[in-house]
Amino acid sequence: MPRAVKGVLVECDPSIKALIINLDSKNHNVVLADLDDEHLVIEERMVEHVKRELDSQLAENTFKPAELDDIQRK
Amino acid sequence: MSSAATYSRPVRQAAKRSRELIMDDDDEARLSQDEYSDEYNSSESAATGDEDEEYTGRGSLPLVRLRVKPSPPQKPTAALNTSSFDPSGVMKGDGISRVFGRADFSYLMLKPDHASRPLWINPLDGRIILESYSPLAEQAQDFLVTIAEPVSRPSHIHEYKLTPYSLYAAVSVGLETNDIISVLNRLSKVAVPQNIIDFINSCTVSYGKVKLVLKHNRYFVESPHADTLQMLLKDSEIGPLRIEGDDYNGTSTTIVEGLVREKAPSMGELTIPGTSKGNNSAAIAESGNTGGDPHQQSVEDLFTSVVGLDREDDDDMDAVHSFEIASESVETVKKRCQEIDYPVLEEYDFRNDARNPNLDIDLKPSTQIRPYQEKSLSKMFGNGRARSGIIVLPCGAGKTLVGITAACTIKKSVIVLCTSSVSVMQWRQQFLQWCTIQPENIAVFTSENKEKFRNESGLVVSTYSMVANTRNRSHESQKMMDFLTSREWGFVILDEVHVVPAAMFRRVVTTIAAHAKLGLTATLVREDDKIDDLNFLIGPKLYEANWMDLANKGHIANVQCAEVWCPMTTEFYNEYLHETPRKRRLLYIMNPKKFQACQFLINYHEKRGDKIIVFSDNVYALQAYAQKLKKFFIYGGTPQGERMNILQNFQLNPEVNTIFLSKVGDTSIDLPEATCLIQISSHYGSRRQEAQRLGRILRAKRRNDEGFNAFFYSLVSKDTQEMYYSTKRQAFLVDQGYAFKVITHLQGMENLPDLAYATVAERRELLQSVLLQNEEAAGIENGDDADNFVGRDGGYVKSVKRAKRTMGSLSSLAGGDDMAYVEYNKSKNKEKTRNPLIKKLYYSKKK
Repeated sequence: MPRAVKGVLVECDPSIKALIINLDSKNHNVVLADLDDEHLVIEERMVEHVKRELDSQLAENTFKPAELDDIQRK
Repeated sequence: MSSAATYSRPVRQAAKRSRELIMDDDDEARLSQDEYSDEYNSSESAATGDEDEEYTGRGSLPLVRLRVKPSPPQKPTAALNTSSFDPSGVMKGDGISRVFGRADFSYLMLKPDHASRPLWINPLDGRIILESYSPLAEQAQDFLVTIAEPVSRPSHIHEYKLTPYSLYAAVSVGLETNDIISVLNRLSKVAVPQNIIDFINSCTVSYGKVKLVLKHNRYFVESPHADTLQMLLKDSEIGPLRIEGDDYNGTSTTIVEGLVREKAPSMGELTIPGTSKGNNSAAIAESGNTGGDPHQQSVEDLFTSVVGLDREDDDDMDAVHSFEIASESVETVKKRCQEIDYPVLEEYDFRNDARNPNLDIDLKPSTQIRPYQEKSLSKMFGNGRARSGIIVLPCGAGKTLVGITAACTIKKSVIVLCTSSVSVMQWRQQFLQWCTIQPENIAVFTSENKEKFRNESGLVVSTYSMVANTRNRSHESQKMMDFLTSREWGFVILDEVHVVPAAMFRRVVTTIAAHAKLGLTATLVREDDKIDDLNFLIGPKLYEANWMDLANKGHIANVQCAEVWCPMTTEFYNEYLHETPRKRRLLYIMNPKKFQACQFLINYHEKRGDKIIVFSDNVYALQAYAQKLKKFFIYGGTPQGERMNILQNFQLNPEVNTIFLSKVGDTSIDLPEATCLIQISSHYGSRRQEAQRLGRILRAKRRNDEGFNAFFYSLVSKDTQEMYYSTKRQAFLVDQGYAFKVITHLQGMENLPDLAYATVAERRELLQSVLLQNEEAAGIENGDDADNFVGRDGGYVKSVKRAKRTMGSLSSLAGGDDMAYVEYNKSKNKEKTRNPLIKKLYYSKKK
């Protein structure tokens, strides 16, 4: 019997897709379908969670001039 | 401040959003100040217009940051002030003041003619914001560079910061407290805040009062204020370090006796009448002894009257008091003085130094020095004596010539310390090129060369590592070291002085007895907090040039900077997510898309006729890239002969337009042919390395051609740690006014014939080979880290050391080996029985 699951289509860079799949690899509760290099369908209720996780992971790769000021202040 | 700061520093992802925020602000400000004078409105919109134009990418971030920072007083304040300009004069907070928190400066009243005044001072942290488009900006800049540290100098708005050190430097070049405050007041849009005045007062009142003078080869702590010296003598650390003149009587000349006589009446304190007005007889006694130089006296007089602060009575002004300390305790005294806020200025009275023989050295008549070089030197010799300090000039702007000119002014024995044996040879060659010194008076002290000069004075060029090295010295270099430490040096030039604070090199400054020290560097930044140490190791920053200014005047090349974002391929990113941090490095460096971008850029620029240098810190990547693209490469392990060969081919052979360099090429490789630079991997977030690399193309030969631009590309793998480092690295250059464009897509890259790694299969193969590499391959080249980077020399010295160690251990293991060797190989006639014994002693001592 066919089962309908509500999902959200995500269009992103391949690297972001890799990050999402990486998130999914722990509990397998995020990704519903892996369409191609730039498209995914993910669980609707996980959207916020994914956004938060991506934000925090990408923030690690961003340099804020404030940090430099801190170094200088020391 | 906090709330303003958070959105005044838009991070990359949020850049667009914050820009909207900023624009919102502007709109609001504009709306609310509609009623305000037309003049203000026009200047306001002009400024925001600039911002629109400039906002091309992250490169202009600081500009945005700067635009926003002054915004509290300028925009919303203006809006506020219009409302609070009412006669009641009571400051009203309005809807948005709480957004700014402590940074709400609406209480600062703008002067009526503020639009024509170029700067504003932040009462909270002493930052000075300068509108560099103002007609007054040029004079204001000259003044601000003297009294404050330049923080950021992009094209329209400059940021400076008042610090104790910068004020200290200002005093040392002869500015007075009142001058500083009155000039600031004249230039400021608002009255100079009281706490800033207090700050300037408190810093300058004690600074410049105490001088450390080397006179007649002895160190004197000198001051126009007797009470200051009394205070120092009572200090628990400095007091005991004073030397009674008697200790020196036996060895010194009559001058000393004259002074001792002077000293007696004044409680054992040495009193040197420094000027002719004060104590005539003593002055004559002294000038008679030193050969008398009336001009020098008058200069000194001038200086004391300029520097002497809040003097009350004339007696104090005209006399200079001093006491003597031993040369060993100099650093202690300097450090202690710094701690108790009486930093010493170091001066060398070289024209009165009769003990050290003069060196016959002069600039060749054909040598021309540029205006900014002259300016920097005038700060150094402002009062006829040589001050120790640091001069900051961009790479390629002629630091060497500044050093040489200073040496020609002092005309005493000079020692030059630099970072690598290559730059040793460059310094030597430059000395021969620019001045009249005889080649036999220049000695070179490196691991290959250990010469001394014959005459009583001369010039020695060496490296920091040669002088700082304490263990495993060869016999010759030990002899050379004894020679260096045993004599006095008139002047020491410390090239690339930012390396000095590293523990290894600190000793250098103290072991060599030099009267004046000059530090030269392009990049006075370190990723640790040791940069301030230079203030007491060397001296204050005497001069810092404006890069953009020099570029506009054609002294250094115009450079277009770009950061190229290369997306990670899916397979590489997957591995990236699962690897250890070190391995990650390798993955983002070897990203096939980056490879393609590199190939494309090389191709594009070779067609334009550019000469290209590609930099990679990672040797594995360097080799992989260079071999795949069939280009020459040089890294630490490349033999000297091959290096020279490759560099010569690059310079002369039209077939060789691209070379790959590891970090050995970061500093002091002089390749004026290079016009384009591509960076594929780098030393984490080192701002210094970025600037040094940029320096490789600043001296481009073709820089004065019409419309010529050099290019600097930094290739970055998207969504990786590299993005973080890349932004951090750029901070220094951005502060010098360089704008980095972000290129997200290289047009036409896919259509490049023979594009490397175009197919999935090839990329897989590359990934496999990268994954097979061990973690070592991911590291940077062996040697010191970039901040303490010693250059090629480091590696070379190491291998020599290893050879020596083997010899030592052999002899020690075999015991009699040496003797047997000597007996068999030496002729009976020449046999010296002592020789092996000494050798044995020498080796056993070494262990």
